[in-house]
Amino acid sequence: MDPLAELKQTFFQECEELLGALEQKLQALDEGSTDSEDVNAAFRAIHSIKGGAGAFGCTELVGFAHVFEASLDHLRSGRVAVEDAPFTLFLRCADAVADLVSAARNDEPATERPDLLAALEQVGKEPQAPVAAPPPPAPVAPEPVAPAANNDAPIGIAALGNLLAMVEAKTAAPAAAASDDGWDDEPVAAPAPASNKPGRDVHLRIAPEQDLFRRVIEPRVVLGSLPADDIVSIRCDLSQVPPLESIDVSDCWMRFDVDLRTELSVEDLHGRFDFSLANEEFEINFLEEAVTEAPQVAEAPAAEPEVSSAVAADLSAILAKLGAAPEAANEPDIQPAPAPVAVAAPVVAVEAPAVARAAPRAPAAPDNAARQRQAVSVRVDLDRIDKLMNLVGEIVITQSMLVECVRSLPYDVHAKTAEGMLTLSRQTRELQDHVMAVRAQPVKAVFQRMPRLVRELAQTLGKEVRLVLECENTEVDKTIIEELADPLTHMIRNSMDHGLETPDDRVEAGKPREGTIKLVAEHRAGRIVISVTDDGRGIGRDRLLAKARSRGLVGADEKLAPEEIDQLIFAAGLSTAEVVSDVSGRGVGMDVVRRNVESLGGRISVDSEPGRGCKFTLALPLTLAVLEGMVIRCGDDRYVIPIASVIETQHLASTPIERLPFGQEVLRWRGEVTPLYRLGDVMGSMGKTNENIVIIAETERGNNVGIAVDEIVGQQQVVVKSLEANYGAVNGASAATILGDGLVALILDIDSMLRLAASGGRNPQSDLKMAG
Amino acid sequence: MSLQLGEKHFSSAQPEAAARRIVTFKVGDRTFGIDVGMVREIKGWQATTPLPHAAPHVRGVLNLRGVILAVYDLRTAIGLGATDATATHVIVVVDVEDKTAGLLVDSVSDIVDVPVTAVRPAPDLERDEHGLIEGLVLLDTDIVALLDLAAVIRDGGAEAQIKTSRAA
Repeated sequence: MDPLAELKQTFFQECEELLGALEQKLQALDEGSTDSEDVNAAFRAIHSIKGGAGAFGCTELVGFAHVFEASLDHLRSGRVAVEDAPFTLFLRCADAVADLVSAARNDEPATERPDLLAALEQVGKEPQAPVAAPPPPAPVAPEPVAPAANNDAPIGIAALGNLLAMVEAKTAAPAAAASDDGWDDEPVAAPAPASNKPGRDVHLRIAPEQDLFRRVIEPRVVLGSLPADDIVSIRCDLSQVPPLESIDVSDCWMRFDVDLRTELSVEDLHGRFDFSLANEEFEINFLEEAVTEAPQVAEAPAAEPEVSSAVAADLSAILAKLGAAPEAANEPDIQPAPAPVAVAAPVVAVEAPAVARAAPRAPAAPDNAARQRQAVSVRVDLDRIDKLMNLVGEIVITQSMLVECVRSLPYDVHAKTAEGMLTLSRQTRELQDHVMAVRAQPVKAVFQRMPRLVRELAQTLGKEVRLVLECENTEVDKTIIEELADPLTHMIRNSMDHGLETPDDRVEAGKPREGTIKLVAEHRAGRIVISVTDDGRGIGRDRLLAKARSRGLVGADEKLAPEEIDQLIFAAGLSTAEVVSDVSGRGVGMDVVRRNVESLGGRISVDSEPGRGCKFTLALPLTLAVLEGMVIRCGDDRYVIPIASVIETQHLASTPIERLPFGQEVLRWRGEVTPLYRLGDVMGSMGKTNENIVIIAETERGNNVGIAVDEIVGQQQVVVKSLEANYGAVNGASAATILGDGLVALILDIDSMLRLAASGGRNPQSDLKMAG
Repeated sequence: MSLQLGEKHFSSAQPEAAARRIVTFKVGDRTFGIDVGMVREIKGWQATTPLPHAAPHVRGVLNLRGVILAVYDLRTAIGLGATDATATHVIVVVDVEDKTAGLLVDSVSDIVDVPVTAVRPAPDLERDEHGLIEGLVLLDTDIVALLDLAAVIRDGGAEAQIKTSRAA
């Protein structure tokens, strides 16, 4: 992939995150949060998207984002009170931005949303004369610096996009710079006239080292650490920026000249940059003492003209350097830059002596502690983590192999190594946990896509719905996260379309107008279990059964238990919607969901209570997970039962076994009748079996079963290895693992085993005999 | 266990370019061959873990340096019953389509270069109902049956089980 495409890809990935943040913040505000940080975060998200989009030439996106940003800015500046803001509109706009992003990503034509744009432009207009600049046609130059930005601003490609866009803006025709100089949408309140403010005039020269971005710091962070009210002007000195064809976007070439009127002392100012800059990277000059002849700063009544002229000066300097006509600036044919020399004359007037620029070049000791604190996260290719994970898996197996080797050594040798082995096993486990944690992601990543779905559906269907997300921080392997979106979407669609009634019907049924859909994630029995619960009318059993009969899925005189009828919802070609809508009702929903879920080794079930609601439960494995397993033996074969599904073990002799009329054996366990299965029979174990231990295990639906085995060998952590990769799905087992002696053992899947037992399938032994 | 394979070039006037390099191995007194490119490695017999309700010729699964793969008993696949595996038996690890699999055979005998023209189509054998034999090559003394590995392995699928056990 060429580097630009790669950057673009990264930008779109970031967009996903930014969109998520945007929606989340808007949602929070919509639900009554008045935290100004939420407003800021939403603003920053859309701003970063706009910046990146500008850099990559996504004009529709930039245009929309710009208007959106402008209206959010009204909130930020307080022109529109947060309480009065039209968050429903904003949320719909966020959805529209998401659409534009995906259109840009897939190179599809974007859908225009003049309705939303018009609505957005009304925001903040009624109470006041229009203040905001009219949305300029793209490409819009995003503001290069946002002094009021917060330290936790999203950092990365989008920010680099800002930089690129800025460079573009600076190389654009001067006419554009004059009319829309790229600063007018800058959300800083106009700085107070310097002369009215107490404090001293200070000039800051900020000359970060080239590696600024690589330290995960950006100018916004640096400048944002200054009190916004104290800033009189900020100029960006781009004279150091090398020719475009030789520019490395991860290098920072920007220098900033900041004029402040502040009461802060030198130490205070130093302290503000503690996090972001090394001491050599900035210089503070008190103007009264150092430079007295800086009247244009001290007396400047407003920063605007000053800033514009600085930009124009920068611009002319760059153009002079480029030696190119402005028209050529977009595809500049740039000569290699001459050695850095002082450039723009107006800037020089307040610039400290050449030292300021020379200093950062010195290989001064970097402020490591400060830098590390900033490095919050890194992006790592999933592939690398997979390799790491596999390697750790190997180490775990080798380690348990070693443990078994050591056990066979003479006692005195054994004793000496025992302690080391113990430490090794503890460390291996820790290593494994950490690598797993790196792979894991909260289900939030997929949950947060659902509010939009619900909003849109609610509108289409004319229903009022509240979506409740619970335990969205439950973590699951990334590969599973990706597989969750589809089934969840279908389940929610189904609940909204078939489950929930219209508001009027609800009121008639004595329920609140607004229906509730609850999405809950939890870990159970070594799986991730996600349930979608609605408080609608439940499954219409009569209708479903009638339909199944008419399709010949159920015999005319066949009697089904209510629960069995409910499960028909997963049968192919059945839909109970009376009207086929474009949402659902074609009967291709839930059976497809079930097939997909089962192909992933998961399961889906439904519980319905007529009139009260319906609950879909989706259980998926935590793939690649390492699981705590109980190693058991039956005949010659060993198996692993996930410890999460084991409730209790006991001797079979102490438990009375009874036989039901159809031959099913049952136990009495804690006063309940529990079915008993003999593992050797179900799995067709080789060798003679002598089942005298029973393991009470739990199925996904929470029922208990007894499983008779020969021996419990031990308990250990096992690495889950796919059987599908080189073979295929195996009934009764979810996966396999490698035990300490290097042999493979199947990891039993209780639910799949029970189905195997029910199907009466058996068994390789007799087949082999027949074949032999 | 590692095997030293002697190389013998098929005596032929055909240019080398049009040759297939084939690994030959034995099951009983029969010789089979597969393209050398499909062979990943050759290892001694190693105990496998049986799979419940698998087709008879699926011997079980084993661990090859952390990867789990299924081992197919070629003897069973060609209808001669199960191999009584000992340390002298050999597992040929092969890449078939996108999967890695093991083929249990008695021994690996040779690597030969065979001109493409020397490969004859398999006679339409009534008994080869699964189409396991892709072609035949006449060597000095032996007839080498070239295996269609995908067919051998496909029969490890669950659907084939009923068919196979009925046939057996």
